[in-house]
Amino acid sequence: MDHNGKAQSQPVVMIVDDEEMVITSVRAFLSLETEYDIHGFTDPEEAARFMETHPVDVVVSDYLMPKMNGIQLLAKAKQLQPEAARVLLTGHADKQSAIQAINDVGLFQYLEKPWDNSQLLLVIQSAIERTQLFRSLREKISELDSAHTSLKEVQSRLLRAFL
Amino acid sequence: MSDPAPVNSHTLDTVEELREELDLTQRKLAEAHKMASLGRLSAGIVHEINTPIGSILSNNETIRRSLDALKKLIATAEAEQKALPPKASVILETLANLTDIDKLACERIYAVIRSLKTFARVNESDLRKVDIHEILLNTLKLSGCVFRRRIEVVTNFGELPEVECYPGLLNQAFLNLAVNAAQAIQGEGTVTVTTRQVGNEAEISIADTGSGIPLEVRKRIFSAGFTTKPIGEGTGLGLALTREIVEDTHGGKIWFDTELGSGTTFFIRIPIQQPRAQEQA
Repeated sequence: MDHNGKAQSQPVVMIVDDEEMVITSVRAFLSLETEYDIHGFTDPEEAARFMETHPVDVVVSDYLMPKMNGIQLLAKAKQLQPEAARVLLTGHADKQSAIQAINDVGLFQYLEKPWDNSQLLLVIQSAIERTQLFRSLREKISELDSAHTSLKEVQSRLLRAFL
Repeated sequence: MSDPAPVNSHTLDTVEELREELDLTQRKLAEAHKMASLGRLSAGIVHEINTPIGSILSNNETIRRSLDALKKLIATAEAEQKALPPKASVILETLANLTDIDKLACERIYAVIRSLKTFARVNESDLRKVDIHEILLNTLKLSGCVFRRRIEVVTNFGELPEVECYPGLLNQAFLNLAVNAAQAIQGEGTVTVTTRQVGNEAEISIADTGSGIPLEVRKRIFSAGFTTKPIGEGTGLGLALTREIVEDTHGGKIWFDTELGSGTTFFIRIPIQQPRAQEQA
């Protein structure tokens, strides 16, 4: 989907944080360093709705948010778009619950606030790479599937022709 | 604790000693309670400060990189004797935006620090005339660090003159009530703080939309050592200390209205002016 008039092939990065300030900072940095199509949300429910209709490569989410916490959002993201990489960016001091949740939602990476921009960029880059590999793997598998199906058809037609 | 004193001429001295010891223990308990409540708030406070610090650090780096990029654009434009490309104005706009964010972030950090500073003055022994609303706002700022994502705070401040009180102690009493109110609410809800003047007294009420106080808890609620909170969440001293601060220290009154399923309101009334004798203390 093309939202900001950018080429469709640009990786789509979602930043979800109830603090507008965090979104602005991350967006400014990523816009300067990359060509990513960046979507920021202060409302996790709105972010989840966006994912229902738009393919996303990476979701970077805060943990403590009203209505829905980061783990709940990422669980929803996993359900909607399993191959989109999930990153938790949190300032929550109680790591225990977050670490436990890493296993539940299959986090790609866990980052703490205050974050380091270069590290964040590195994580997002490798997350995108992973997502795109998953997608092309899935495409290849479905190509193989359809090749297999058509081969079978040819085979059965051949059999019918000769028997 | 020592054995009961024998009944002799020393009894009075011993009683006096024991009373002093008790006073000291009580003060230590109050101090321990304050540290415990601060400790429990600290995770929220750390989160509250980490967010703007994260923004400032990130912005600082982005600003530096933007300046480098801008420098290159200018150098190229000068060398080629051309006008600056449109990207330059995009970068300039980003720079302005980020410095605005930095200012906001610093203000956020400063507000938390300021509310901590007033709270740290609990042992301030001077009776002073203060703006109760300012104390309340600082208290709500601190408890908001922990609860603001699920609790909406409504302030309904009436006209109040400056109130003569021990600000640090009152701060602690308000914090206890504000934290209790937020904890009484499962999930999302509202805490409403109302003030008004009633005769020569200031009335402060803190109402929650929580579960209400069960009948069997009501009569023990102001007793020291009684708590319904899980281990690690309550010391069982909060309301006992709050009652002591309001009634014993300030000569005021504390009471509550509660209804199961719809919420609780705690009321505090303290004299606007303390009696002269107490001012000497």
